[in-house]
Amino acid sequence: MIDPGEILIWISLFLSIVSSVLLVLNLTGRKNLDTVAELAIYGYTLALTISFFLLLRYFVIRDFNVEYVFEYSDSNLSPIYTISAVWAGREGSLLMWAMFMGLFNSVIVATAKRDSVTKLSLVILSLLILFFSAIMLTEYSNPFIRMDFTPIEGYGLNPLLRTPEMAIHPPTIFVGYAGLAIPFAFAVAGLIYREEWVKRARKYLIFSWMFLSFGILLGAWWAYKTLGWGGYWAWDPVENASLLPWFTASALIHGAIVEERRKSFKNLNYFMALITFDLIILAAFITRSGIISSVHAFGENPIGYAYLGLIAASTIFALLAWILRMDHAGEIEFKWKSREALILINILILSLSTLLVLAGTITPMFNEEITLNREYYDSIEIPMGTALVVLLGLCAALNWVADSERFKKNGVVALVAGLAVGIAVFGLTRLGVASLGAGIFVFALLLQSMGLKLKDLSNRRKFGGYLVHIGIILVFIGTMGSWIYDTTYTNVGLKVGDRINLDPTHEVEFTDLRAFEDPEKYTIIATINLYENGEYQGTLQPKEYWYKLDRQDRVVHSVEIISQLDRDLYVAMGGTTGHFEGAFFEIHIVPLVSYVWIGSILMIIGGIYALIPRIRSKN
Amino acid sequence: MDEKQRFILGAAVIVFVIFMAFSFKSNISPYVTVTHVVESGQLDNVQVNGTIVPGSTKHYPDNNTRFFDLTDGKNKMRVKFTGVLTNYQEGIPAVVIGDYSNGLFIADKVLLKCPSKYESLEENYSSSGLEAKV
Repeated sequence: MIDPGEILIWISLFLSIVSSVLLVLNLTGRKNLDTVAELAIYGYTLALTISFFLLLRYFVIRDFNVEYVFEYSDSNLSPIYTISAVWAGREGSLLMWAMFMGLFNSVIVATAKRDSVTKLSLVILSLLILFFSAIMLTEYSNPFIRMDFTPIEGYGLNPLLRTPEMAIHPPTIFVGYAGLAIPFAFAVAGLIYREEWVKRARKYLIFSWMFLSFGILLGAWWAYKTLGWGGYWAWDPVENASLLPWFTASALIHGAIVEERRKSFKNLNYFMALITFDLIILAAFITRSGIISSVHAFGENPIGYAYLGLIAASTIFALLAWILRMDHAGEIEFKWKSREALILINILILSLSTLLVLAGTITPMFNEEITLNREYYDSIEIPMGTALVVLLGLCAALNWVADSERFKKNGVVALVAGLAVGIAVFGLTRLGVASLGAGIFVFALLLQSMGLKLKDLSNRRKFGGYLVHIGIILVFIGTMGSWIYDTTYTNVGLKVGDRINLDPTHEVEFTDLRAFEDPEKYTIIATINLYENGEYQGTLQPKEYWYKLDRQDRVVHSVEIISQLDRDLYVAMGGTTGHFEGAFFEIHIVPLVSYVWIGSILMIIGGIYALIPRIRSKN
Repeated sequence: MDEKQRFILGAAVIVFVIFMAFSFKSNISPYVTVTHVVESGQLDNVQVNGTIVPGSTKHYPDNNTRFFDLTDGKNKMRVKFTGVLTNYQEGIPAVVIGDYSNGLFIADKVLLKCPSKYESLEENYSSSGLEAKV
């Protein structure tokens, strides 16, 4: 029997066709069709939203007859994770993504002025809804497939996903992905009608960028406190998939500023909007096609290749539009001694980073015989990041009207202060790159803040930008510190009562090991005291969970962290000895990692701050 | 953009791409088969793809050391690994990274294939030192 949820997706498919056809007819001169077209857009949004909540309901009532519900939940799953299980798999997350796209389109209908650019953009965006609905109606991505029988118990949610971060990471990322289709649609429509699109796209761009940033942060934070290897970024294809559009969206935000003020960078922004969109669809392809498992089984989901088709179609369409409207397209114009030049270099660094990460991500996908070491990324991204942070310091110090006198004065102060701090940090810690980082930090921060005046607090866009940039500098510091100076002790075997030295300054004491049971799982808890230079730092209780599931990955080790601004003490449980008298641990001492989180949060706050006036002025 | 600007930007991109190509070349590591390893007799720092042979595991819990056989269907080799291996199971695909000599492969790292976040995305390994990439 066909499920009502599936019928709703058929309705959404139908209404997306209706809205795009009617809007095209309207644009080609047949009047009075736009009201119906708009209703159709609200209609597919509603259909997608209802089907999403219907799927949620199947999870809540534990309807294991629905294959997707069976695969991602079980009766013991807690209420919160039962909700997040809706988007734990390919099918449900696709539905959520489509729903967010529908909601964005409805917001455009409700708020944007009704001109040709908006209408053509909505045609493009409705065609995307058509594409996503069609994908969901194939057997590979349909969340509403029912089985011939009803299992009494579900297969269960992957235990690694049972954390608050993983519950909200996917929705956050998908809001970002959904929203970043809008600049692309506006760019193409704007170019075809020879109108500006950058201003229209701005709030959607920043809004989506902010969500994407937050989503990436949540993913990294989850990896750090769940996976137990002491890191948060492995240059893994799935991580890279979300970082790539973040690079290009960041580049687009900068290019858009130049286009708004100087009418320059038009071509650059157009293609950046296109590439950002393509990279988002590539992310869908990477995570959904099954190609990453290609080392073992190629092409589990043939429909995944439809995403590559969409990338090709969008790119060809955008190129055709660009060729047709060459007259409107604009050259990149800049002078070397200007802020535009610095922004251009910033865009160049982001673009080259995109190229690097893209090459590293897709080559192993299409060539099963090889893998890339992380040094490939680190050896280039670390200097690139350094260059970016220096540039960022310089950039803020330059005003649009270059005030070279003031720039020189501030520059010298910042340079001296930066050098002094760098040398001081090196003297204290002997960590070369970290000292360099600290020096650059002070240099960039000073340049940033010397350009800042009190009245800028009310210029939300400018001040929001400052917060984002200071956040980026902090993330840089944290990343350098934690990547380069992480100390790892693997397979540390201890018996209860042991107290040993890891290194001359750090001691661990294993005081207790016990186990208990609840309906969902068995838990083994170890109790560890940590000492630094003989001083007690805290007690940690890393755990091992045995979920009562019929899954191969039912055992999960948990991590406990003592976090301070200068370093984290990080202990992961790694199993017990045969007779339960001892246990194995993995212990990391991770310097400066807190700054990654603080900086990321600052970036997101900056984004929110920059958006506030726009939202208010709408009301 | 004038000629000079084009030239400078173009040169920067070309220099970058050259660096990138070098970095790519020096950081690439090929997967090899069990047969290739066994036939070579001795190999250092290689990654080998295979499946863990059922019934071949010997586990010494007191120092967390495991011995098991890895096969590619044609040949098999004995692997030794010391460290944490979450969700270890026989019969599943694994990638081992390490050195081979005298008929024994000493692994620094073992990556086990297991189900993940997305059904289709099964490159979710758990590995040495609890490492699991998603």
